[in-house]
Amino acid sequence: MKAKIYFLTLFLIALAFSGCESDKTDLSQPFVVGFANLSHDITRMHGQAEIKMKLSEPATSNGSVIIKVTPTNAQYTVDFETIPSSESGTFEVPFLAGQTEISFTYENKIEQPYVEDDKLKSVRFSIIQINYDSQVSIQGYTSTLVGFGISLGATLEPEIGGPNQGNQVFIDLSTELVTTSVRDKWDLGFYSDGLSRVVINGSLYMAAKQLDATNIDAVTAATVQQYQSQVAVGTFEASNVNYVDAPNGDIGKTAISEISANDNDNKVYLLNLGYSIGTDVPPVGSVAVAGSSRGWKKIRILKSGDNYVLQYADLNSTMHTEVTIPRSPDYNFTFFSFNTQNVVTIEPEKAKWDLNFTVFTNEIVGSGSYGYSDFVLNNLKAGVKVYRVNTSVKSFENFALTDINDANFTADQRIIGAEWRDVFTGTAYTDRYYILKDIDGNYYKIKMMAFVNQGGVRGYPKFQYKLVQ
Amino acid sequence: MNFNIKYFLFTAFTGICTQAQQDTIPKANRLDEVVITGQFNPQSVKKSVFQVNVITRADIDRQAGNNLADLLNQSLNITVKPSPNGKSGVSMFGLDAEYFKILVDNIPVISDEGLGNNIDLTQMNLDDVQQIEIVEGSMGVEYGANAVSGIINIITKKSSIHKWEITPSIQEESVGGEYNMNDMGRHIQSLKIGHNFNSKFYANAMVTTNDFKGFFNNRKGEKYSENDSLRGYEWRPKNQLTAKSLLSYSLKNHRIFYKFEYFTEDVYNYNVTVTPNDQAATATSFPTANDITYKTKRFFHNLNASGRFADALNYDISLSYQEQKRDAEDNIYDIRRDENIKTERYRYESRKGVYSKGNFSNFLKNETIDFLVGYEVSDISGYASVLATGDNLLRRSENTDNKLGSYDVFAATEINISNKFSLRPGARALFSSMFDTQAAVSLSARYDLGRGYELRAVVGTAPKLPSYDELYTYLKDVNHDVQGNLNLKPEQGKSIFLHLNKTFIAENKMQFRTKFTAFYMDVANRIELVIVNSTPLQLQFNNVDIYRTFGTSITSSMDYDNLTISGGFTFSGVSKVIDATAADANDDYLYGVQLNSNVSYRIPKWKTVFSAFLKYNGPEYQFVTLSDNTIVKGKQNDFTFFDATIRKTFAKDRFEVTAGARNLFNVIAVNTTASGAGTHTAASTNQLLGYGRSYFLKLLYHFNF
Repeated sequence: MKAKIYFLTLFLIALAFSGCESDKTDLSQPFVVGFANLSHDITRMHGQAEIKMKLSEPATSNGSVIIKVTPTNAQYTVDFETIPSSESGTFEVPFLAGQTEISFTYENKIEQPYVEDDKLKSVRFSIIQINYDSQVSIQGYTSTLVGFGISLGATLEPEIGGPNQGNQVFIDLSTELVTTSVRDKWDLGFYSDGLSRVVINGSLYMAAKQLDATNIDAVTAATVQQYQSQVAVGTFEASNVNYVDAPNGDIGKTAISEISANDNDNKVYLLNLGYSIGTDVPPVGSVAVAGSSRGWKKIRILKSGDNYVLQYADLNSTMHTEVTIPRSPDYNFTFFSFNTQNVVTIEPEKAKWDLNFTVFTNEIVGSGSYGYSDFVLNNLKAGVKVYRVNTSVKSFENFALTDINDANFTADQRIIGAEWRDVFTGTAYTDRYYILKDIDGNYYKIKMMAFVNQGGVRGYPKFQYKLVQ
Repeated sequence: MNFNIKYFLFTAFTGICTQAQQDTIPKANRLDEVVITGQFNPQSVKKSVFQVNVITRADIDRQAGNNLADLLNQSLNITVKPSPNGKSGVSMFGLDAEYFKILVDNIPVISDEGLGNNIDLTQMNLDDVQQIEIVEGSMGVEYGANAVSGIINIITKKSSIHKWEITPSIQEESVGGEYNMNDMGRHIQSLKIGHNFNSKFYANAMVTTNDFKGFFNNRKGEKYSENDSLRGYEWRPKNQLTAKSLLSYSLKNHRIFYKFEYFTEDVYNYNVTVTPNDQAATATSFPTANDITYKTKRFFHNLNASGRFADALNYDISLSYQEQKRDAEDNIYDIRRDENIKTERYRYESRKGVYSKGNFSNFLKNETIDFLVGYEVSDISGYASVLATGDNLLRRSENTDNKLGSYDVFAATEINISNKFSLRPGARALFSSMFDTQAAVSLSARYDLGRGYELRAVVGTAPKLPSYDELYTYLKDVNHDVQGNLNLKPEQGKSIFLHLNKTFIAENKMQFRTKFTAFYMDVANRIELVIVNSTPLQLQFNNVDIYRTFGTSITSSMDYDNLTISGGFTFSGVSKVIDATAADANDDYLYGVQLNSNVSYRIPKWKTVFSAFLKYNGPEYQFVTLSDNTIVKGKQNDFTFFDATIRKTFAKDRFEVTAGARNLFNVIAVNTTASGAGTHTAASTNQLLGYGRSYFLKLLYHFNF
């Protein structure tokens, strides 16, 4: 019995040395209501418009938010009204248990055409009190400005189409304008400005190789068969970057050479049309962006005055189709589709987009071209540039106009690229954010937040941005 | 053949009883150990033509081993390799668990990845085990496909001398330095009941729970909400329950038993990644994690009949139905509220099927020659979801549903040319519903040189069947093309072992035994993922690889009075040609050493045994191909496992206390540059091995009446 007690004591002593509590973090978080957007553009508010607020979590009981109204050069009932009424300078917006989003109505009474005085008018709404039966905090987007100025910032979730990533999404930060287009709606883009260059649709992993021929009808499947295994993305051959457009966005380095005024200089190209948009449902955390092969074409591009002339045909065809394609001065490119055999509209006007979320043909240096998903490009061809800031240098919140260094901008459209997300953990890197300068000289700071949805499914990017002031 | 019969009876009626009596304070007498593995009939280690290494019940008890993984860390030539998916497999002579077969009472046990092979050692409970037999080398004739590097045969207990035997026990262990009653450490409870209904009918039943709370090792568990690589565990928590039962009916020359096992396990894979779900509008977050719980269930039924008919025929027939299935439960875990907001359960992997094996021998009433003929058939259905691949970057295009029928016949003959010299040739034909007919052959010889010297030579072959990954992988997208290969042939393992044993007994007090072994093994047609086309890059599993190993080992043990000392040393070279068709293949031999030692000292007056176990694993080398296609020599650093235990009995041996420390040198992981670099992954720098220095206490009580 003595020995038994002895052993138990020994064990307990051992436990005393080894026993320690696991670390617990404080998981409590206050209840917050914040505006969905930092600003609203009056020119897009015709009559009544909703101004939305988000709740940090589904409300567990009823409550309300008290909002203060601060007009600048604007008058209640003359220039604007709200529902509920804010004539007294404050108003209350209730919410019910279970709600995650609430709103009030803003009625714009400033009518077009706007006069100079109108553009000085604005109204600021600020959350000053949250009535709720647990701990609350006023934080995040605590106020929103309704006015004629550019966007102060927002949180956007571009709809690139889930794990098949079937869409290209173009975003204009200063107007919060989002344009969505299906990836396979175009094949070739004819450059509008100065140079005579043609791009291929890298979002479908297309590839093009110059042939020796100038007679498109003489090229057959047999004559190009030897090249077909190489003229593709992802072959792990360093040299195959020559078959795709320069990933950095340099229009002078496209797979198809400068189109010459001298027809004899314009060779026939073997064109790999890449892959259709994937339709598989991949395992959670993976993508299925590429479907079946879209086949091949042979093309030859000439110039006719300032216009382009496209000749194209299937590989074995002894006849070809010819179409004249004009430049579109307000746009980066005129886009052409083999499917519709016609010019199609894809991008917004070049001054009206800053960022493009798309599948993209990039390169792995040494291994050649490589298909990427979740890619983010800046509109380099219009002059939009980006640089990256590490949070160790300055926090996102504290980054101000005085911190801008224009020397950091580089001529590369891939600064955000794919380097913002970690595919192995399924999260956006939190140690970095980006500074973007648009063509009007506005600086925005951009923080990437997610590239999967709550269930871990790919193809659901989310980012927030703020005007640098 | 009287000898065999004698030993058969010895085992069935008295041997185990003797063992049971010796359970508490063993006095080693290894020469009389009876082994079953590879024998026509149970017989003594000394008589066996195979070199069978035995881990006795007493050895298991001294280490307080609850499952096979606890135990095998100390065995020479075996390394237990925990893998990131929570399983622990055997690595023997540098070949992984696919090349190694685990049997219970002579029949292969099923796992969710194979029959006998790819067994998770932590799922093999030892509470009803009488002894464990290990044989190194290819044993295709005796145990069929996949018995390439060796086999482990777990022999369960099937009788008792007591009318009633009720044995409750508890075992508390720290996991590294982590222990509390709540969410740390390892907690084991067990209850065994055995009963002799009459002299013929014996039954037992047992249930064990093993609650492993995981190893934090600076990680912060599942409730941690920051995304800074600290969430989750270094070793995944798991919770196991094993229930087993045996019914045995024995007549003078016949015995029939039915063995049942039910096993269930939950392994919790807490994702290191936290998805913050930040909401900028409110500057709040909603941290979630995508966790997976793997839920395993195994059913094991084995009906066995054995015995002899009128001096003319010995038979041993097993009929078994087994099933193991692993489900995955994908959870989206709301960390802040501690609840799953979405749960989806699906079948991850499973194997099930019927199996039967029969041995028939002693056809001739002849001392000189005996024949054994047998069959081994199985019909196993396998299922693997697209996600169940060995490499998380590999994929299959669809779930795999497969049926494999194996129909083997084998024969061996044992020729006792003289009292000193016996020879045993054997052959097996393996017919299969999927692969070409395979063959395995063996030739064993034992020669008693006299003066305590014995020489054994064992030559054997065994095919290894391709795995599901190798057959069915299909990952094809714009950047990748990695494919399995339905035309794969089974790999061919072959081994040659030479053993020289010397036994020295002085004045009955001191026993000195030494064994010198030299071995050579090769595996031809090894399956490896190789480049089949460089533009565009395509990879496919193919039979290209060659693997060879040779080595020598020496083991020695000494019993003197109450002291037992044993030790072993192995020196081996491994030559592994990755893609033998490639021009720059490197087939240099890479050398390694392993060393183990085991000391125990009994103090009969105190009813106490002190034991120490030490195993040194020297550096391991392997050629690895870097992403720029250069081949370099990678190295895994050396490490040592050192355990020490005290075992004492009280109250007329009824109450047993075992206390001790495992892994005294505090090994957690070793640095390695010997793991290959994948398409996307850099070479891993750490091989997880253990969870550091930990302590245990086991209390057990025998109610025998």
